[in-house]
Amino acid sequence: MKLAVGNNIPEWEMASVSPERMRTMAAILRDPNPLHWDRDAVDALPLGLGKRTINQGPLGLSYIINMLQAWGGPDCLRRIVMRFPQVVLDGERVVARGEISVLREEQGVWLADCSIRLEHDDRGVLLEGTATIVLPENAILID
Amino acid sequence: MVGNRKPIPSEADITRLTGHSFPGGFYTVAHWENFLLTECTGAALLPEGLVHPVALFHIPIIGAGTSIAEMFALGQAESDLSIMIESYDWEIFVALREEIRYAINGSITGAKRCRNEQGNLYDRIQFCFELHTPDDGLAARVTITWHYTRNML
Repeated sequence: MKLAVGNNIPEWEMASVSPERMRTMAAILRDPNPLHWDRDAVDALPLGLGKRTINQGPLGLSYIINMLQAWGGPDCLRRIVMRFPQVVLDGERVVARGEISVLREEQGVWLADCSIRLEHDDRGVLLEGTATIVLPENAILID
Repeated sequence: MVGNRKPIPSEADITRLTGHSFPGGFYTVAHWENFLLTECTGAALLPEGLVHPVALFHIPIIGAGTSIAEMFALGQAESDLSIMIESYDWEIFVALREEIRYAINGSITGAKRCRNEQGNLYDRIQFCFELHTPDDGLAARVTITWHYTRNML
């Protein structure tokens, strides 16, 4: 694996955000918020979202983690900081994307600081933030 | 359905939340839970009992002896629908694994009244949780920052 600042991370696609998975997630999280399982509750909001449930924030974040782990390995993640400028709705196709911002060594371990985001084709950036991952041992850094 | 809106708490009621500690406790991720959780993310189960990091949302909350509902109530949320996420900051020092009993503590590390660019009132409350391994190593630190919006819905 050859890496340099500015390199794109291979993207990760969620072809259709599933309302059924939101329901399972709500149960696991013990999350009482009806926005995640009651389309009528979302429709009643003055936000014009229609009858579509809103994905849990952590689930949208998980798509970005999936991208990072598919690229850097299953235990690569050291830190992720996420903001949530827009909601993710059921049925949407979203894509996790990112690129390397900084490559650095810390206590003998090589790390990549990455700029990360979750995007929708029409609505743009839904989630955005930064992540730090441990580089795989076979990584070759390029100036 | 949308819950009943509650009155806006005083600013003092909000700021005095800083320093509030949750009871603390323990959490062990069972294989079935990790399986279902990971399936929700659309990924394959991770190898060697690794827990999907998305668990860092609910494990700290439940393990510290609180709940999303109590966190909403502490900030006197107008309704379940009035909470907006500012950010989640998850620091991982040791990858989480199934069937490990993590000790968890948590507290409110910041609470203040704010106005957004449109002049709308909200209360910004920050929660911090730490997970420790059975040998007392720091496994993860999680900082949750929510906005308790007022009169916006």
